Amino acid sequence: MNLHALLLAAIRLSTPLLFAAMGGALTYQAGMLNIALDGFMIVAAFFGVATAAATGSLALAVIAAVVSAILLAALLATFNLRLNADIFIAGIAVTFLSYGLTGLLLKNLLGQEGVFAPPAIPRFTPIRLPLVEEIPLLGSLLSGQTILVYAAFLSVPVVAWSLYRTRWGLRVRMVGAAPDAAEAAGIRVGRIKAQTMLLSGLFCGLGGVYLSLGYLSLFAREMTGERGLIALAAIFFARGRPFRTAAAVLMFGCMSALAVELPQVTTIAPELLQLVPYLAAVAALGVIGARNVRGRDRHAAWRFEIE
Amino acid sequence: MSGDLATSPVGSWARPIAARVLPRLAEPLAAVMIAFVLGGLLVLLLGYNPLLVYATLLRGSLIGWPNVLATLQMMSPLLFTGLAVSLSLRAGLINVGAEGQMLIGGLCAGVVGYAVRLPAPLAAPTCLVAAMLGGALWAALPAWLRVSYSVSELVVCLMMNPIAKLLTSYLATRPLKAPGPTNKLPDISAAAGLTNFSIFAQVNTGLLIGLLLCGAFAVVNLRTRPGLEWKLMGLNARFAHYSGIQVRRRAVAIMLISGAVAGLAGAEQVLGEYHAFYDSFSPGYGFDGIAVAMLAKLNPIGVIFAAFLFGALNSGGDVLQMLTGVDKDLVRVLQFIIVLVLSARPSWRWYKAWREASRP
Repeated sequence: MNLHALLLAAIRLSTPLLFAAMGGALTYQAGMLNIALDGFMIVAAFFGVATAAATGSLALAVIAAVVSAILLAALLATFNLRLNADIFIAGIAVTFLSYGLTGLLLKNLLGQEGVFAPPAIPRFTPIRLPLVEEIPLLGSLLSGQTILVYAAFLSVPVVAWSLYRTRWGLRVRMVGAAPDAAEAAGIRVGRIKAQTMLLSGLFCGLGGVYLSLGYLSLFAREMTGERGLIALAAIFFARGRPFRTAAAVLMFGCMSALAVELPQVTTIAPELLQLVPYLAAVAALGVIGARNVRGRDRHAAWRFEIE
Repeated sequence: MSGDLATSPVGSWARPIAARVLPRLAEPLAAVMIAFVLGGLLVLLLGYNPLLVYATLLRGSLIGWPNVLATLQMMSPLLFTGLAVSLSLRAGLINVGAEGQMLIGGLCAGVVGYAVRLPAPLAAPTCLVAAMLGGALWAALPAWLRVSYSVSELVVCLMMNPIAKLLTSYLATRPLKAPGPTNKLPDISAAAGLTNFSIFAQVNTGLLIGLLLCGAFAVVNLRTRPGLEWKLMGLNARFAHYSGIQVRRRAVAIMLISGAVAGLAGAEQVLGEYHAFYDSFSPGYGFDGIAVAMLAKLNPIGVIFAAFLFGALNSGGDVLQMLTGVDKDLVRVLQFIIVLVLSARPSWRWYKAWREASRP
């Protein structure tokens, strides 16, 4: 097995997960569990590739994809914040609506069965970093990636900085930790929540574009393959803190890369490796839950409500 | 409402029943209509005639005996998953793990069906029990984490779904795989199969079991103590706790029941339709169950009608795809527009006033 190829695959598999995880982490910090990450990504992936095929312009494709994901996020935010819909039920509805809508449009707008792979489609050009390229081992990994890969990795410090070093981030975390106190302090809770949801749409939009125009050059039915769920697993694992979430994502990304590369070498079934993120998430949820109960409030154990 | 009873000049029972049932139907019917109008606009934008599309959906699902049978076949698993989701939601728990519980239930039914050879009257019930145990087992972890550590059952269920999918997929493609090209377990013994009603479609005794189960839970919900306690929990868990209801015990019970019912959906598919466990046999019946439960407003009798509607849409969707070329994903769009619309609890004044007035 080639370590270089493995790491390269890990970087590429982690990129969409990173986008989705950063989007999800923002809403998580604002006290909203966004389970529609997959829905946002699939819509962006579809409109990205459809626009690229129709116009031949990469910039327009990215804009169309991100705008479509943000519109979907606005729909979810409207239902949750304006119409008092349960975020989980509305989120599930939005996700499956997106799967259905992209499947329908794939067939009846683009006229394709299952997969849309346009022959001539603009691609992102790899960016070569002049000095970094020279580094012996890491150089070929760090240099020569597309702009979306760099954007995904840069989004982690940006999200961390905006959450922990800006006035806006303080408000987001306050809305998440104590909505009533935030309200009393004059913060517009609904507006902050809506902002994080729209940003979530933006990040997932970029993740979707990467899937259909960076990682691959096609759109396939349900191509997100539950990446949104893995991102959610990472968010739970790290309780929504950006750097730890990113670390979890990279771990899961390496795991996926192993699942792709290992069957050539050993006999471990790829299905069992793909299980790891979900098992890790369940274990983390259990451990965090147990610690909450033991640590803070001994009488919390009877409490039925979710923290 | 009680005033109506005293002053009503006509029939003593007709008015109250109409007054009780009709307002409850208003929201689901409105949601279905909104979905069909939006779906119609979408179809129009894509260059098809919406009236023709809806006529084809109707014809493909309800006109002609084979189409009706196909609808009933599509309805059967939705009865179980819809009931499973609605039971848990009624008690304030969101069991979105019906998909995983169904896969595990189907796996258990499939394994017992071929590995344990029992005489005819015992074989099928044993498989059904195995499926229920499997489904309940898959719901046990989310239930336990919720009541012991206040971990959201929704999130754990969400993670349990892909775990079930990957696990069953692994077993059906590797260690337990039947010889041959397809990824499936060996066929179940003939005695373990559920009886088919017709040679045209795979409608089987599972449909009857589902209908009976819905009827049984309608009685449990309205006429028994746990039924009432689950409802109180769903309305306000804290109030239920302080009025002496053992909230945690009831929560575990309803999650296990919900899982067992979802497991039966898998048994219906494996024992009735496929006669073996096939890798990823479900096109998402567990998730459709969420839509069924929402449309049914969590009422077990409502589940029957909602499952019938979505079963009809699914079987009509197949015909639609063949005849007009409109993808059957249109059905999924309609389904989840309905869910989205029904999830809204707007605070508009007229809506609140109407809800207040139509409360039974």
